[in-house]
Amino acid sequence: MATARGKPLQGWMLSSPYIIHTIAFFIMPAVWSLALIFSRWNLISPQREFVGLGNLREAISSPSVWNALFVSYRFMLIILPSLLIGSLVLALITNAIPRGKSIFAVGFFLPYLSSGVAVSVVVRGLISFNSPINVFLRRTTGSSPDWLGNDNLAILLISGMIAWKLAGYYALIFLAGLQSIPVQVYEAASLDGASTWRQFWSITIPMLYPSMYTVLILAVGIMFSIFTEPYTLTAGGPQGATHTWQLEIFYQAFERFRAGYGATVALLNAVTTFATILIIRRLVEGLGRRWGYGLE
Amino acid sequence: MRIGPRSTIGTIILYAVALFALVITASPYVYMLAQSLAPWDEVQRSFIPSSFSLRSYTWLITGGEFGLARPWMQGLLNSFIVTIADTAGQVAFGAIVGYALSVLAFRGQRAINSFILFQMFYPSIILLVPTFLVIQNLGFYNTYFGMILPYVLSVWAIFMYSNFFGTIPRELIEAARLDGAGELTIIGRLMVPMSVSITTVIFLFLFMQRWVELMWDLIIVSDPEKRTLNVLLATMFGPYGSYPGPLYAASVFLSFPILILFLAFSRSFVSGVEFVIK
Repeated sequence: MATARGKPLQGWMLSSPYIIHTIAFFIMPAVWSLALIFSRWNLISPQREFVGLGNLREAISSPSVWNALFVSYRFMLIILPSLLIGSLVLALITNAIPRGKSIFAVGFFLPYLSSGVAVSVVVRGLISFNSPINVFLRRTTGSSPDWLGNDNLAILLISGMIAWKLAGYYALIFLAGLQSIPVQVYEAASLDGASTWRQFWSITIPMLYPSMYTVLILAVGIMFSIFTEPYTLTAGGPQGATHTWQLEIFYQAFERFRAGYGATVALLNAVTTFATILIIRRLVEGLGRRWGYGLE
Repeated sequence: MRIGPRSTIGTIILYAVALFALVITASPYVYMLAQSLAPWDEVQRSFIPSSFSLRSYTWLITGGEFGLARPWMQGLLNSFIVTIADTAGQVAFGAIVGYALSVLAFRGQRAINSFILFQMFYPSIILLVPTFLVIQNLGFYNTYFGMILPYVLSVWAIFMYSNFFGTIPRELIEAARLDGAGELTIIGRLMVPMSVSITTVIFLFLFMQRWVELMWDLIIVSDPEKRTLNVLLATMFGPYGSYPGPLYAASVFLSFPILILFLAFSRSFVSGVEFVIK
């Protein structure tokens, strides 16, 4: 009988593109990465040397790896709060305006479509020596800063670029959350005499918890995979202040041709990302329990 | 909505704030366009140039530096080749495999579904170096295939399609089968046409992601004439340091195709994005 049930042949045939691709580009690389971690190899020569835990030992005591970890936390401390507030404000604005909601939602989303390289061209232009901004600063304060030569300014610039890019996308997540809050909850609160301000803190924010959770987890993952902006703008400088995990992996594996060591740093990157996501989840879930969201 | 303003003044302030936010989100694009049209002695010296010139575009379209006939136009073409090949594959395989995993029933299906979830959460950075080795061993280093193959199938697209196809009534599929339609016909003529908005969202997200990919295209191709526009632009910051005009024109070529594509599809995007976010 030709029902939906029991179609093993078609099932496997139609799944075969997935199976072939997964074997070639997931399972094989995943197995290979394990072998790489224990070897020293320059990507070309037929000789591969088994070094045991040598790569891991070197990576754990490497100042640039520790620096990468430190840099990703520094980015996280600046980007996460600004991104959360920024995207929430964009969502609240979009939700509150009576007409043209989707025009604004689409407009706010446009930065997400940008290439980090093209935005780097723009930012580099805005901070170039004769740019209107620097000319203005020199005229008013007497000097203009060396934007990419100063740790804090370089980090702030790149953080701004990343927050600008992501805010409109995360605003869509918050917007979906806002629209799922039943109007009756606000009506009941109004009858009880709660002010708009009070309603915002006691209804809107707690009921946005699921959206907040999604945004935080998505964003933390991104904080550990920053590459384009520092690659094009700062090359990791000044003095490693923007030398991220991905730059270190790229530099070790593909510029110094240390495949095994690069794969090891990538593993450490994945482990620290995972650990940080777990910690953030714990913290956020603690907040969630206070707002009445059960254990899931 | 309750949080909305009650007075006219409130509404005006709200729109003013919204417009201000829109200016911030749009201004880099406007700046990019303005600088690309500026005469070369004015580039980066004012927000809006005093006169307009097409010199940067002429340079980009006819420019013959570093031994290649038209490096920038070649880069744009390469970007289109790689992105279109990958996005087409991702959408087609997404629909086909998603259909198999949600509509058909076969032994091993649940295992595949859970493995897809596992892959979605697996940190892709671990796979970077070994995937390079796979491509190298297949003989695809420094080829278009090298850029295309790893991205030609997306587990995210499969996951999205398989979730969405689960919501399409079974009776429709059974009716099509009774009419003698094969599985591929059902996918192409029934399932995908019934999921226009989700297909739009999947297509736009994947097109955009592939178009702006930097690291993979940077390491897998060494030939300047095979570089995508994104990679080419990223490596030209130094050489164009003192005459950045063409870099802005290249940024426009890099940014506006996606913007136009997105705005053209924005209607179905708005309706489809809610499904993806949930």
